[in-house]
Formats: sequence, C-alpha cells, structure tokens
Amino acid sequence: MKYASLKKADLFEWLEHLKKKAKLYAPRKKENLFVLRPVKNVEDVCLEYIPTILPPKKYYFPQKEKLFKFSAQPFKTGKAIDKFEEFVLFGVHTCDIAGIQCMDVAFRDGPEDPNYLNRKDKMAIVGIECLKYCDKYANCTSMGNHVPRGGYDLMMVDIGDKFIIHINSEKGEKLVTDLGYIKEAAQADMDLLDRAREAKKKVFKEEFTGPLSKVYDVFDKSFASDIWKDVGKRCVACGNCTAVCPTCYCFDVADEMELNLDDGVRYRIWNSCQMDDFAKVAGGEDFRKGRDSRQRHRYYRKFKYPVDRFNRYFCTGCGRCTRTCMAQINLVETVNSLLNEKGIVE
Amino acid sequence: MKKQPKPKLAFFDFTDCEGCQLQFANLGNALLELTELVDIVSFREIMSEGTDDYDIAFIEGSITTDNDVLRIKKIREKAKVLVTLGACATIAGVNGIKNRSSLEAAKRIVYGDKAGIINSIKAMPVHEVVKVDYVINGCPVYIPEVISVVKCLLMGKPYVVPNYPVCVECKMNENVCRYEKDQECLGPVTRAGCNSWCVNNGNRCYGCRGLVDKPASDAAKDILQKYGLKAEDILNSFTLYNDSMGEKYDQEFK
Repeated sequence: MKYASLKKADLFEWLEHLKKKAKLYAPRKKENLFVLRPVKNVEDVCLEYIPTILPPKKYYFPQKEKLFKFSAQPFKTGKAIDKFEEFVLFGVHTCDIAGIQCMDVAFRDGPEDPNYLNRKDKMAIVGIECLKYCDKYANCTSMGNHVPRGGYDLMMVDIGDKFIIHINSEKGEKLVTDLGYIKEAAQADMDLLDRAREAKKKVFKEEFTGPLSKVYDVFDKSFASDIWKDVGKRCVACGNCTAVCPTCYCFDVADEMELNLDDGVRYRIWNSCQMDDFAKVAGGEDFRKGRDSRQRHRYYRKFKYPVDRFNRYFCTGCGRCTRTCMAQINLVETVNSLLNEKGIVE
Repeated sequence: MKKQPKPKLAFFDFTDCEGCQLQFANLGNALLELTELVDIVSFREIMSEGTDDYDIAFIEGSITTDNDVLRIKKIREKAKVLVTLGACATIAGVNGIKNRSSLEAAKRIVYGDKAGIINSIKAMPVHEVVKVDYVINGCPVYIPEVISVVKCLLMGKPYVVPNYPVCVECKMNENVCRYEKDQECLGPVTRAGCNSWCVNNGNRCYGCRGLVDKPASDAAKDILQKYGLKAEDILNSFTLYNDSMGEKYDQEFK
C-alpha cells in the first residue's frame, strides 16, 4: 500500500491508536498561537495551525539536555547516552520536515552527534501538507518546501471529508496497517489529491523576487552591504529568531553540581549567535561585535555557508523568525532588498 | 578528604522588605542539604540566636543612611565572602526611586515635618560602598539561581550572571510573547537568569534584574513605539527598579 485514506470522522480513533503505540506529540493551541505538546486529549490536537512557537527540534534537540552524570571524588563519569522512548511527531508541516532534514545533515556530519541520532531513531514523523498559506510571513514556496519532499514516514493531505496518507517508510506503514478505518486509497481519492495539488499552484507563489540560485549569488556579493547596518540597528539581540529557527543548532556545554558538591551533570543548552558574547574568545577579542554583523551571520548561516558545506539551504521558509521578531525584521524583505540592491528584480 | 570546619553563614538586612531572605528560608529541602555544608549562625527570619562570628555574609537591602555605610563596612571587614541578595542590595532596587528627586524633597515627602531630624542619604547598591564577591539579582531572588550561586561560592568559583536578555529563556519556555498580545515587557533589555519566571506565570518582565551590558536602546525604543508606547513609559518602567543607575537609563532611553 502506497497511499491510504482515512475518514476525518475516524481521526480521533487513529490518534488514540497512535497514543497507545508511542509517545505522541501534536500541535495544539496556546493563547493565540500554537505549540507542540504531548497529546493528553486527542480532541486538543489542532491540524489547522500556523507554525508552532518552537519548531519540532525541541524533541530531538531539547533546549537543555543532560549529556551525562559524573562525580568528582572519586572521579567517575556515567554512560553518555540515555535510553529514549519511541515517539511520534504528528501533524508536522512540510517546512518543519525540511528543518528536520537540515538538522539531520548537520548532526550526521562528523563527528556524528549520538544524542541526536538516538532520538531520531525513535522518532516517526506524520506530516500534513498545507493547502493554503499559514500567514503572510512564510516563504516556503521560494525555498521549495510548500510541497512534501521526503523526510517523513507518513504525509497527510486534506481532501475534504478524508485525508489521503502517503506511506513513505516501513515505520510509517506500521502506523496505518491492520486498522479497519484506514483503507487503501481509491482512484477517486487520488483524483481529488491531484486536484488539490493543482489548486495549490494558484495559491503558492515565490516570495523572493529572484530564483534561489540568484539568492545564493547575491549573498556571495553582499557581505559589505549597508542593508546589514539597517537590520542591525533595528535588532535588540533578544535571540528569538535563532531559538524559533528549525535549523539553528548551536549549543553551549556546561556542568552543574549537586548540592553535595561532588556529583554533577554535564548538559548542553541552546545558544545563539545573536548573543553579545557569542563570538567572544579568550583574551576578550570579539569576532562579531555589532548586532549588524551578528544578524548578517544568521542570514549567511541560512543562505550561503550551509550551501557551500552541505549543498542545502538552511532556511525552510517557515517564517518563524519574522513572525517572532518584535522589531519586525522581515526575512523576505531583507532577502528581496539584497536582490534589489544587486539589480535582480523579476 | 580531611573534614574541614563548615563555613559560618550570616544574614543581614538593610533597606528592604526582607522578602529575599524569605525566599532563602523557603529553599525547602535544599536548605536542609545546605546545612550539611554550612552553619547558618545568624538569620533572624528562621532562628532566634545570632552571633558576630561568621565567614560568609548575605546582604539584603540597599544602603540609605550614614549608619548603613558604617555597618556594611564593619560587615565587610569581618566577612571572608560577601554576597548581595536581591535587587535592593544588588542594584538599589525600588529604593532607588528616591534618587530621582533631590534628597531634601524625598525626605519632605516621606517624613513630613520630621524631615529635619532624620538621617538619609541617596539609595545605593552595596557595591557602591564595599567590595562585593557574588551578586544575586531579582525581586525577589529566584530560588534555583540562589542555589547555583551558593554552589559556586562554596566551590570558590565565580558565578557568571547571564549577559543576554530574558527573551532567550522566555522563548526556550515557549511562552507567547507579551508583545504578541500588545503588552509592554522589559524582557528584551533585561538581564536573564530568572528563567523568565514572571512571564511563565502570566505576568510581564519588570526589569528587576537590571539591564544587559549593551542594551539596544534605540531598537528597543523603536519596538515600543511600534506597539504604541512612549519613551517615557519605558523610562517609568525601568525606574521602578533601576534608578540608582538613573543616569545610565536617562542616557540610554531619553
């Protein structure tokens, strides 16, 4: 079975089933926004949502993660890797799946990151394809992430009173087999899927004024651009943009002692290139002193450096950095002004 | 390891509400664990006894009289390690509002016709009078941070107060941003370390921990204006806790 179908009326039953099989995380409302949370009541799961405050990365690269335990006297270190439980990320947008693919590339690059890999092994991803824009901040079309491009186990598409489910892995198949209410998709359902995809082409338009290859070229030439000064002037260095970014993976490592002052825990905690002291080294030298150079660095870490190193853009188009920015620093505007400055306008 | 005598810990309060000592008294199990490592010899909120024989002094409250100056200097002479506990002692806190008026006017407002016989000087954080070894920010202090600082001081390590804003911790806690709800919040320019305690509980940041080293004041002003707030509003918010540094705030935000 490659494509299955599920009546919307049976969604909650399926969620109950998934909840029994593994730890289930799904989007739900938080005030006027959305967050991924462990599912307690399946009725709380919300599949029509704008990107969650934090991306799914918090489940495979937690904000603060224990690495190992140690004791000082006598000196002993515990096992570095904890046992993780099976979990399902449910209702993940295609942009965030692209984010997971980016993290995968980064964390598998040698030396491999065992904590990430072990969690990733236990993770199953059930995606949901967006048929309309979440809001005005997304730039998923320019990044090519408005449509599924692999990296998931199951992908759901809403075709009215049913979901079509694309089965993309053995792990995914296990989540839909032997359930009376999930059937192989009929030809009529597949026609509806084609029609939904066709309609989508009219809704999603490239957000950048130039093609992605030109964006790369422009970044190659814009290091000294005044646009960074303007962005830097507006930035308060709160670090929101990097925390919410599905592909920002910088972390710091620190030790924390118990009150007996002998046992301790080594943990890692998210860090951000937007922090004042981030690029400061011994001797007090600071490689990225101003907020302008720190913001520039963030953009280059999405559109230039990872392309050189991993042949992949590290912007997924989710729009979170723009959505969360109090100073309204807008990624699409910044990229378009760079394109414009170099005379690339369509 | 040879068993060393436990260091003796004493608490002192100056101009304050004694709420930070209350936080310390509320450490719970950690307080009991702590007594394995130190002897608490003077702490009037939890014990009747007291002594002048101590090694580590926890100072709560700001310095606001000539007598306070003499007293804190004496404590400093005796203490091997001196720690400021809470906003009043660390940045002068709410007491600093006094410095916004002339001393004479402040005395008149508070003491009326007795103003002439009351001794009062400008409100100062402890570090303006004597050397301070460790600082614990906050109004009141945040218990997990108190424990972290105590561990550092017992290990003889410096405690590094974060130099990034509260937003960093707030975002990790996945709170809905106050600005998202059109409410002002001092998170973007206030030093972190409190794990965005107030915002986690539905409140906003009042800036009780003081500014980060290099606040982006122009950008912060722009943000406030975008959300319909005036520079005076942020100045008023800041001066609730930070007026002992009034000049710095004036310079940054006026």
